Amino acid sequence: MDDKKENRTVIEAEVPMGTVHPAALEPYRLRLFVEDEIVRDAEMTVGVNHRGVERIMEGLPVEKANSLTEKICGICSNSHIWNSCRTAEIALGIEVPERAKYIRIIMEELERLHSHLLYLAHGSEVLGHETFSMRLFYIRETVMDLLGTIGGNRVQYGSAVLGGVRPRCELDDNRIKQITDGMDLLEEKTTAFADRFVSDPMVISRITGVGVISQKDAIRLACTGPTLRATGVAQDLRREMPEYDPFEFDVITQDDGDVKSQLLMRVLEIPEAIKIIRQAVRDLPDGPITNRSWEMQDTPITKSYIEVPRGTLYHSYALEDGRVRNCVIRTPSMANIGAMQHACIGHHITDAQLSVVQCDPCFTCTDRAIEIIKL
Amino acid sequence: MSLKSYSRGRAVHVMLVYTGGCNGCDIEIVNCILSPKFDAEQYKVFLTWNPREADVLVVTGPVTKQNEQPLREIYKAIPEPKAVVAAGACALMGGVYKNCHGDIPSEEIAGPVDQIIPVDAKVPGCAVRPQDLVAGLVSALPLLLNAE
Repeated sequence: MDDKKENRTVIEAEVPMGTVHPAALEPYRLRLFVEDEIVRDAEMTVGVNHRGVERIMEGLPVEKANSLTEKICGICSNSHIWNSCRTAEIALGIEVPERAKYIRIIMEELERLHSHLLYLAHGSEVLGHETFSMRLFYIRETVMDLLGTIGGNRVQYGSAVLGGVRPRCELDDNRIKQITDGMDLLEEKTTAFADRFVSDPMVISRITGVGVISQKDAIRLACTGPTLRATGVAQDLRREMPEYDPFEFDVITQDDGDVKSQLLMRVLEIPEAIKIIRQAVRDLPDGPITNRSWEMQDTPITKSYIEVPRGTLYHSYALEDGRVRNCVIRTPSMANIGAMQHACIGHHITDAQLSVVQCDPCFTCTDRAIEIIKL
Repeated sequence: MSLKSYSRGRAVHVMLVYTGGCNGCDIEIVNCILSPKFDAEQYKVFLTWNPREADVLVVTGPVTKQNEQPLREIYKAIPEPKAVVAAGACALMGGVYKNCHGDIPSEEIAGPVDQIIPVDAKVPGCAVRPQDLVAGLVSALPLLLNAE
């Protein structure tokens, strides 16, 4: 390293935030190095809420481990249980009935709706616009009611089991009507909100040009999901997944990579999710919802990727005597941490919190990394 | 009713502290106070993130080892009289994280909450329902209102 005095950068002050901080909902540590109120460098540390879920999963029977993955995250619980089941289904070659596939898609897209609405509500709160925040929480209740009706719980509603979906999540005519009505109501409410949102000059001027991540940086930092798509890269794993083949939807992209693009990205993804749910409900095939004719066998490490509300989720494990071995889970927020740090740099210190929130962080998912020591 | 308890009853500040759960309870609690559907704010219950102005501490999550000391300090920073509500299965008995295998307690978890700070009300559920949380908050209120 160059130690000459004139080449050293002198950082004027450090502003540490966290791990418990009034502005942050989740515990994380953000160190901002500021120079005249402009952030010159940022460092984010997670790990406070490390619970060792992968360690607990080690050696559990696969059915039990699947239901444990649901408890990793309270926002995207269905994604985790779906992907964990999908990993075992790929490994054991289990054929999932068509109807079960459709119900899983419906649950996943409902989850995307509630996650995006929560993101917008949290973002509005950080912006200081509590009215938007409350209104969005109210719109979100439509989705939460549907999830509560289908899954039986408002938060941990995971529908997938090995080989299909739970009998509780079977959709009868009454529930299909509820979903259809709910989607109509939701579309009306979100359209009204979106009109109000984009025509508010105060909000738009607050979020334009703040927390910019350029396309080049987004690719360099290996961003994923809507955070990447808001910089203009049309990368959506749903295009590659065979489960999404029957459905028509657009991959939304935005160009600027600032907070405005990130928020609009989620606003515009809501109608796409509604579109997928409507198609799934309309074309819902008849037949069984679980396939129970499969046999357990030992398999090598199998991996599965799916697109969840925040990006690409990765699960992998091997099976040994019906038990889970060498489980690894990588969540999308892990990939987006680089972008969160990068977005703070070069902006005013008051925008730092907004720059972090724009990447839709979920640190409960993220804190699981473990080191397995071979004895 | 004294003047103190009258004024305390007019502005109950709830502080939510998050000690390593899955985010489900936290969002339901924020939802319960902020969202117009449950709307605890109409009964003059406010959400705050500052321990100095809080009256009720709502703790979620099995307390992880790294969150143990911050939780004690937050509890100390809250002025008397105060009440603590433990919300969710993790905060009550460690949930799935504390002892999933039955006989090997996890090395990461220091909780449940009542081993670290005194708990006045317990709200069960995974995740807690907003209705239950309102009931838990109401049952903790006499501690604040009847205090000298």
